[in-house]
Amino acid sequence: MLPNFAYSRPRKLTDAVAHLADAKNGRVHAGGTDLIGCLRDGIFKADTLVSISGLTDLHGIEETGDGGLRIGALATITQVADHPLVKERYAGLAQGASEVASPQLRNQGTIGGNLCQKPRCWYYRGEFHCLRKGGGACFAAEGDNTFHCLFGSDDVCHITHPSDTAPNLAALNATVHITGPEGKRTVAADAFHMPPSVDVQAETVLRPGEIVTAVTLPPPPKGLRSSYRKVRARRSWDFALAGVALALQFDGDTVRNGRVFLSGAAPVPWRSQPVEKAIIGKKLDDATIKKAAKASVEGAMPLAKNGYKIGLFQGAVAEELTKIAAG
Amino acid sequence: MTTEKDIYYTKDIPVPETPPPGEEPAPWKRTRIIGKRVPRVDGYERVSGTAVYPSDVILPNMIHGAILRCPHPHAMVKKVDISKAEKMPGVRAVITGDSPEADLMWPYSGEVRTKLFDPHCRFEGETVAAVAADTPYQAWDAVRAIKVSYDVKKHLVDETEALTSEVSIHEGGNKVGVQTHHRGDVEKGFAAADAVVAASYRSACEIHTPIELHGCVANWDGGALTLWESTQGVYSVQSGVAEVLGMPLSKVRVIGHYMGGAFGSKLQAGKYTIIAALLARKTARPVKLFLSREETYLAVGNRPPANMTLKAGVKKDGTLTALDFTCTGASGAYPAGGTALVDWLIRDLYACPNVRTECTDVYINAGPARPFRAPGHPQASWALEQMMDALAEKIGMDPVAIRLKNVPDISQGRDRPYTTTGLRECIAKGAEAFGWETARKAAEEHNRNGGPIKRGVGMGSCVWFVGGGGPPSTVVIKLFSDGSVNLNMGASDIGTGTKTVMALVAAEELGVKPEVIQIENADTGTTQYATPSGGSKTVPTEAPTVRNAAIAVKQELLKMAARELDAEVSDLRFDADDILSSKDSSQKVNIKDLSELKKRGVVMGVGYRGPNPENKSVNPFAAQFCEVEVNTHTGEVEILRFLGTNESGRVMDRLTFDCQVLGGITMGIGFGMTEWRALDHGQTGKMLNKNWHDYKLPTALDVPMDMTSVPIEMPDPEANNTGAKGLGEPVTIPTAGAIANAVYHATGIRMTDTPINPITLNRKFAEKEG
Ligand SMILES: Cc1cc2nc3c(=O)[nH]c(=O)nc-3n(C[C@H](O)[C@H](O)[C@H](O)COP(=O)(O)OP(=O)(O)OC[C@H]3O[C@@H](n4cnc5c(N)ncnc54)[C@H](O)[C@@H]3O)c2cc1C
Ligand code: SF4
Repeated sequence: MLPNFAYSRPRKLTDAVAHLADAKNGRVHAGGTDLIGCLRDGIFKADTLVSISGLTDLHGIEETGDGGLRIGALATITQVADHPLVKERYAGLAQGASEVASPQLRNQGTIGGNLCQKPRCWYYRGEFHCLRKGGGACFAAEGDNTFHCLFGSDDVCHITHPSDTAPNLAALNATVHITGPEGKRTVAADAFHMPPSVDVQAETVLRPGEIVTAVTLPPPPKGLRSSYRKVRARRSWDFALAGVALALQFDGDTVRNGRVFLSGAAPVPWRSQPVEKAIIGKKLDDATIKKAAKASVEGAMPLAKNGYKIGLFQGAVAEELTKIAAG
Repeated sequence: MTTEKDIYYTKDIPVPETPPPGEEPAPWKRTRIIGKRVPRVDGYERVSGTAVYPSDVILPNMIHGAILRCPHPHAMVKKVDISKAEKMPGVRAVITGDSPEADLMWPYSGEVRTKLFDPHCRFEGETVAAVAADTPYQAWDAVRAIKVSYDVKKHLVDETEALTSEVSIHEGGNKVGVQTHHRGDVEKGFAAADAVVAASYRSACEIHTPIELHGCVANWDGGALTLWESTQGVYSVQSGVAEVLGMPLSKVRVIGHYMGGAFGSKLQAGKYTIIAALLARKTARPVKLFLSREETYLAVGNRPPANMTLKAGVKKDGTLTALDFTCTGASGAYPAGGTALVDWLIRDLYACPNVRTECTDVYINAGPARPFRAPGHPQASWALEQMMDALAEKIGMDPVAIRLKNVPDISQGRDRPYTTTGLRECIAKGAEAFGWETARKAAEEHNRNGGPIKRGVGMGSCVWFVGGGGPPSTVVIKLFSDGSVNLNMGASDIGTGTKTVMALVAAEELGVKPEVIQIENADTGTTQYATPSGGSKTVPTEAPTVRNAAIAVKQELLKMAARELDAEVSDLRFDADDILSSKDSSQKVNIKDLSELKKRGVVMGVGYRGPNPENKSVNPFAAQFCEVEVNTHTGEVEILRFLGTNESGRVMDRLTFDCQVLGGITMGIGFGMTEWRALDHGQTGKMLNKNWHDYKLPTALDVPMDMTSVPIEMPDPEANNTGAKGLGEPVTIPTAGAIANAVYHATGIRMTDTPINPITLNRKFAEKEG
């Protein structure tokens, strides 16, 4: 059922990195909720699994010296959703985390794994040797693309990025901390995911041997309100058909600054600058909200079966802006 | 399609009867325990995990089987190379179409038989080869190492293209058959109507995916085969296996005490049963073979898609004048009832003199259909209930009122009376309990405020095609000298609480506590013949049989008491577990004190199921009411509450009754809102959502907290001597149509196609905006 692989559970980050870097097809094993399914279904090869659960430094959620927050890569989705500081200061992230999958999966899945999870395109997860698996064509382009993207496919691959935490981290200006064979580096959360035009077989910018160790959030700027709204085909245990992550700085009723990311929209968490443009410097009155909702689908390239998302995004964005305006 | 012969029933056979004909026991006047809320007799075992289901069975030296299935919807197997697989570690047997022991014919239906491993694979998931190995993982690895060369053929997966497609799945084209029904004169009916509405509807294919996977453990002992199978009917599996393997029935023992659910897909033996038996014989080991979840999605059956048109005429006062219905459904790759019973509601539910139906069943390259909880009915209900609302609106009538206006006096589909009908009560009392009028008005009031959240209230009602049960069935009851009871019956308890209900019947009749009753069931080696548990027939079939067996025990006890008390049997009567004389109240003996019973150790009674009433139709009825909220920004629908009324004769156990109602509504929500089979139409034809994530079953959050079951209790004295009719299927028939009507009430949008979800609603919103 599963491929044959070597398995290790090192205690030191450097060992974990070394094991990974030495392997031909090394994979990090965090909570395993996504990894094991992929291996069972033969989605990718793996000859070495490196469990990171023994790396104690990767656990925990704590306030940083500058008043921000550090979330270890091994923090579970439940821990993120329930943490008092996350709920108080970064409500959008707490909401995003609480909308992930199901309680069991949130208890087992980690934030690091959530950022690095594989896409859910049913061709990719099925017995279809598509572009993303090294094949010659995208089956979704002409096939059943009900669940596929409106933006950013670059006419290459039409997945939507499955994570509900990533758009919120991106909106909240988070930073992803990475350790690899060449040492440490950081990447902005909004640059962590890989557009298909750059590399259709990768979902993240991680290089071989690299491990996500933590994400950090800057101290919440003044007037920050954040929120996440997710719409799915059934009410639980389902990925986003459309989602919107808002991180807006209010000055009274006026949006001074802000970032808006869409989920269920594109192969990466999709920054919607048209929406940002429509609301920054404005009061969120009905006319502004209407304009912003329209702007959310500016430049959308619907496929044969996902045109419903045009109306859906507008509705979700309008609803969420109305809600956030009310405080 | 609407003939009464199917695997649940054997009509018109002479059956032995207990008590003899003419001496039917009177209906219970007052009951002590029947109708109470009694928890499952095996609830502890099921919940604690001590119940051994077939998939839990482990035998000494047991090995594991796995099946290689065709990955293409339509292909010819050219060559199967097992040389690598055979040499893999742990592998003990590989069988293919070339293996002499697998040269058997598989009955896909009465008419169509194919080789067990037929080179012509007409659907994705057809069996090609099988492996037995020491561990399931080795078996799966070996399956993957088998190299098959296929000649991939053009496929056809869209049933609406079947009759024009160049692909011919069977010789003679893609039409399985057409069935029609006419009564009255439809054209005249439309001419007499004040309003006529016509519409098209589609319900998507729904797939069987019960919690316990399909499969068995097979073990040979010399020439005798024992199977522990997850099944609805052990005797049905026995006869299927005996037929295919050419064995005497006596040499095939099938055991299925516990089983983890099924809704029609486990009524018969599967190919997997035969394959497990062959692998076990070849390896001389017990073989466990359970399908993977993916395989069940491809191969164990479905509720076929239904493409329907319905035209209806109505007079101003709400009287129906004509119904004209067509349906194209898909059997799949083999004849499997692609339109089975899909016109029954049109023919039977509402009074209408002029009816025409035409149902066309076609082949497609996809897994064969199977009976699925109330075959055909939820599909037709989806169309008919929406049509009734559309007619009501057209003539300015209330949806409840138009249905009440058209409650028929007799079963029109069979042209004979129902024994009893509670349709009117289901609708009227349900509307009252739900607060129909207030809720409708409140929703309309709410919607006038102009906000994005719209509220709606809808309903639907139904009859179920059968539900009276019938012969044959035999039950044996043994009463031991301490008054405890052993109940022996062949029927499976598929999760509905059959064992519990039968314990109540025996306890009621024998005057003992249910706790002293031990039930042996679902074992062809040790329990009596029964037909599979399906068709909402298990209670009305088995309960009277159990009662008859209990009566036979009582007759024996009375004879013993007469000897002991030196009295006439005719003067003695039971009072709970005492026997007393009606003439002399001092003459009294408790059954445990009967000296003859003490000496003999046991009294045995045999009960048989007698025939059903002649020239009458026994049917259960139901109605459902719901309230929804639709978010017109996002297309999200929240069901706020559901209420179901059911007339199924007598309520046997109020707890199992309510469980059926709430479960049926839940399943109906899946049919109406979350489930659909996605085939890669236009490309590979393969199924895209063959897992529990992409194929969406309703979750706890999709089902309202507020669900109510309101029994309409009308014990049916003619149906059988317990007065109970079937319940398991009517509970799921009107759900989806009621939701669609509520969504219409909320939004003014007719959701003519299942499922109703944010995807399909947003498509409709877009259409509406133009
Ligand atoms: C049925 C189902 C429904 C789901 N629904 C949702 C949903 O609605 N929304 C949502 O956001 N998610 C959803 N998920 C995804 C789920 O949230 C992820 O599976 C989970 O967060 C992954 O965490 P994990 O620790 O189990 O990762 P693993 O399964 O261990 O790993 C996932 C991937 O990330 C890599 N990886 C893990 N940790 C690291 C690290 N620290 N550094 C580098 N690489 C790493 C692994 O190599 C692997 O490729 C769903 C999953 C399932 C199975
Ligand atoms: S959308 Fe991407 S993952 Fe899906 S089939 Fe196309 S290339 Fe493969």
